[in-house]
Amino acid sequence: MSPLWFLKVSALRRVFGVVLVAAMGVFLLMPLLTMALWAFAQTWQYPSLAPTVYSLKWWAWVFQNGDVGHAVFYSFTTAPVVTLLSAVICLPAAYAFSRLRFPGKRFFFVSLLATNAFPKFGLYISIATLFYRLNLMSTFVGVVLIQLINTLVFMTWIPAAGFDGVGRELEEAARDAGAGPMRVFFRITLPIALPSIIVAAVLAFLAAFDEAQGTLVVGLPNIVTMPVLMYRLVSNYPEPVSAVFSILLAIPSIILLLFARRYLIAGYLAAGFTR
Amino acid sequence: MGNARQLPGQPYERRSRLKEGVLGLALALLPFAVLVALVVIPAIDSLLFSLGQIPKNNVAFSTGMHLISSPHLTLAVYRNLFASKYFAADLALTLSVTLFSVILVVVVSYGLALYVRFTHDRFSRLVRSLYLVPMFIPIVIASYALITFWGDHGFLNAVFSHLGLAFSTPIFHEAGIVLGQVWQGIPFAVLLLGSGLDNIAEEQIEAARDVGARMFTVFRKIVLPLNLVPLLIVTTFTFIGVMGSFTVPYLIGPNAPQMLSVEMSSHFGDYNQPQPAVAMAIVTFVIAAIAGAAYVWGTSRDERKSR
Repeated sequence: MSPLWFLKVSALRRVFGVVLVAAMGVFLLMPLLTMALWAFAQTWQYPSLAPTVYSLKWWAWVFQNGDVGHAVFYSFTTAPVVTLLSAVICLPAAYAFSRLRFPGKRFFFVSLLATNAFPKFGLYISIATLFYRLNLMSTFVGVVLIQLINTLVFMTWIPAAGFDGVGRELEEAARDAGAGPMRVFFRITLPIALPSIIVAAVLAFLAAFDEAQGTLVVGLPNIVTMPVLMYRLVSNYPEPVSAVFSILLAIPSIILLLFARRYLIAGYLAAGFTR
Repeated sequence: MGNARQLPGQPYERRSRLKEGVLGLALALLPFAVLVALVVIPAIDSLLFSLGQIPKNNVAFSTGMHLISSPHLTLAVYRNLFASKYFAADLALTLSVTLFSVILVVVVSYGLALYVRFTHDRFSRLVRSLYLVPMFIPIVIASYALITFWGDHGFLNAVFSHLGLAFSTPIFHEAGIVLGQVWQGIPFAVLLLGSGLDNIAEEQIEAARDVGARMFTVFRKIVLPLNLVPLLIVTTFTFIGVMGSFTVPYLIGPNAPQMLSVEMSSHFGDYNQPQPAVAMAIVTFVIAAIAGAAYVWGTSRDERKSR
């Protein structure tokens, strides 16, 4: 018997399942659906449960707006660059944390946690003053560096656990069969660790893509990404504008979710954090 | 992890270990250098500024109002901060939001993780997909969506009014912040807690049940001990994440008192008082560091045990 014994009774289990799925649906999805409805609303008078008049006019407005175009451009250029840069910086380190013996290993590994522990706003202001001196304010490079901070933990911890999972016997067998170290790495080690690297890259991309606070501090006025623009839309424009824009902003994330879902459930994220 | 192919003490062994150590350090130093440049140095700058050292070349700091400047280190900024009743209210709100959020995230996520682990039908498959959704919705969007659903004259309000029920919105109240944090925190927590549960064999639990152990005993004696480290990690990361969060309290929190992150931002921008803002950041950091220490303690203890 499992600790949730009542789930073994078929009828009770069905009832519990229906209730749980319904509760989660309401809690997690209904807000998103309400927002999606707003995107097609011309007017939605309280207490009507659906928009009273539907319209696509806000979609036209959003697509014709020059600020939106710029924000889309900068979001889709900064986030991939951040992800690549993060991979170049962190993946070799992840390999070292998994496979090499060196002094201070545990310290360097855990120290990355500090990127999460400092309240970001104070940090961003201090970084901004540093960037003033280096002429990085309101530049592409400055925004990339700011967004890089939030990716370090994902890009190092998760692939390190991935490299842990590659059996040394396999590598040694390949070595014994005459494969050189490079060949062993690219034919054996990397393919086995790849799901971890994919999960890390997806999460790093999302972290960069969603970053608004630092980008706001460092990027204005030249570089405005989609989340930064969203702050302005929420406070300054009618409801449907933010709703339409939110849907656009959510599309890349949802595509990534469908792509990375099975790896996430398979525990690659958790392995990095419990290692 | 020992490599027993070479006898210890041989010159070749020693040289290759040295090479390995140097290479390992060099590779590990890459992300560490980014950390030092973009986190440690700015954090030290902030700390010194909050202790009365005003940098000349930093316009954002040196043109602030009510600056406390001192030739030696001083705690005056902190004394003023802790004497202020507004700060006390903000700190109390921050701590209570953090505490409630952590408890709710852990309880709800643990329940979901247990359900997903020990049932295998179409409902649990559906739950497995559902709980991941918030991980992929940018938090700006999520906050906005939560407002349209839970807000005054929002969708839920309309449903309640059709049913003739009274409704009081959590949006722009403390409860709204907690709501947003729970919404956002669930995926990471369930993934981590679930990974710990995957290591528990169902036979183990059935055996315990067969000898008459009660459900709670099974949980306390078998499930919990095997899942302690993931639990600690979820608690730490949720704690640190909520403490430092900005978007959720900024968009769905009350006007006053506010969480410290939002208060910091208004002190920087609207009030032009960077020094108290930076001091608040340091206070938050110290509290987060205590949680971080719990994480380090928990994971390193586990590592020693597993060797």
